[in-house]
Amino acid sequence: MNKRTAIIGSSILALTFIIFIDLVGNWGRLSGGWDNLGIFFSESLWPPDWSVLEAQSYPVCESTFEFTCSVAWLGMVETIKIAFVATVIGFIVSLPLSVMSASNLSPIELAIPSRILLAAMRSLPSIIWAVLFMIIFDMGTLAGICAMSFYTVGYLGKLQFESMEGIKNAPLESAKAMGMTRTETAWLVAIPESANNLLSHLLFMFEYNVRHGTVIGLVGAGGIGLYINTYLKLAQYDKVVALLIVVFLVVVVIDFLSMALRSAVNEEGDVDRPSWSSLFLPAAISSAIHPTPMKKDTDAESE
Amino acid sequence: MEEVLVHLHDVSVGYDIPLIEDINIEVSSGDVIAVLGPSGIGKTTLLRTIAGLVKPLEGEVELAVPSRGGLGYIPQRLGLVGNASVRTNIEMGTRVGLSRWYLPFFPVPSKQREFAEQAMTDLGISHLADQPVRILSGGQQRRVATAKTVAQRPKLVLADEFLGELDDDNVDIVMKTVRNAIEAQNSAMIMVEHHEELAKQVANRIWRIEDNHLIEELVR
Repeated sequence: MNKRTAIIGSSILALTFIIFIDLVGNWGRLSGGWDNLGIFFSESLWPPDWSVLEAQSYPVCESTFEFTCSVAWLGMVETIKIAFVATVIGFIVSLPLSVMSASNLSPIELAIPSRILLAAMRSLPSIIWAVLFMIIFDMGTLAGICAMSFYTVGYLGKLQFESMEGIKNAPLESAKAMGMTRTETAWLVAIPESANNLLSHLLFMFEYNVRHGTVIGLVGAGGIGLYINTYLKLAQYDKVVALLIVVFLVVVVIDFLSMALRSAVNEEGDVDRPSWSSLFLPAAISSAIHPTPMKKDTDAESE
Repeated sequence: MEEVLVHLHDVSVGYDIPLIEDINIEVSSGDVIAVLGPSGIGKTTLLRTIAGLVKPLEGEVELAVPSRGGLGYIPQRLGLVGNASVRTNIEMGTRVGLSRWYLPFFPVPSKQREFAEQAMTDLGISHLADQPVRILSGGQQRRVATAKTVAQRPKLVLADEFLGELDDDNVDIVMKTVRNAIEAQNSAMIMVEHHEELAKQVANRIWRIEDNHLIEELVR
């Protein structure tokens, strides 16, 4: 590290520290915080109330597996359904928008308005979209699906057009010289060339939407968040913790499935094969436990 | 019947600074032209300028070929879609022979599919038809790129070092197929080549780039 980098680095750290001190203001109010947390944890949060995994008393459960009538199951399944539908709708809408936004596929006059539209859709968090859609559709899953779809279009669209802009120039130039239309170039060249990334982003978005389904449920847009919100209002924090553990486990499973799927569609060596440790441990520790072979230089090979 | 396909009038090519100046030359049907010269002298830029990918700094490039499908371009990096199969890549070449309103997600009509199959057979890659291009060797990819252009049936083929990584037998196969296609379509080819001996074997005209100028040499 040279002197100039060291000065800039320490100046940024000092500035961060000053701003942090200024933001916190009164440090006195933090006294006793850890004790309060300890009391809250031992008296209200722990142990989790696993009754959320038992069948609800009403409506009467007619299923062979009573677990499927539980709050956790019903809420989680609804959240997954909302996330799935919203991700698919978001993908279908965002794909043409991302083609229009990619500067190597569309003229700048089209790319800029498309990018602004995508930015507008993701600038509002899905929880705000959920509130807006609840005004239109009332509380429930429809508002949740619409909110999540809107946010998905904005977020996924950005990831997708950046992937498309990152593809190699040679296939695009070849297509242009041949006289292919923009639609043909997008459909036959850009989308297949960036397919691995597009699929990877799609799976990531589904995973993200499942996690976020909990948040938008808090404002009444359906799913497990609706139950969490109810228990929060009733101060039944032990049930909240039980549901959060369920959400965590489901997200871990989806994360693993997503990694397995991504590695299946990618070239060997393009994506590291998932290991269980990478789900629970920081990347540095995980890679020390499961070192992965050096990636092959596909670019160099293809040239 | 011989027809002029490309006419370069007082053309200078380059990026900001001219690499090749005062080019006045014609390309007629039946021509197989090899462009020779050391690296960085502007051979690829000349090809890209004729392909319409780079604007000439001066002068005018006149192309007497259809804007859609009339020009086949094999860039140095081949321009194939790695994730798509060999067949899809080659059929892509045939699509530009269809109306621009023929939607890209519709399968190509049987006539175009036949063009693609024939090109694969000629280049000996039929057995690779369903393989994704990315897993093929460099030489196989070059044959796929050639098949794509042959199936396209353009009036003018521009190829940038497309014979590299091919062994002698495959050079013969590729050049025989390209020559047959050129004769059948009454078209022409301009290829950038590093190996002078090879260039003289396959081309009937040589364009040598020296001191920022294009010098024509007649081979046979």
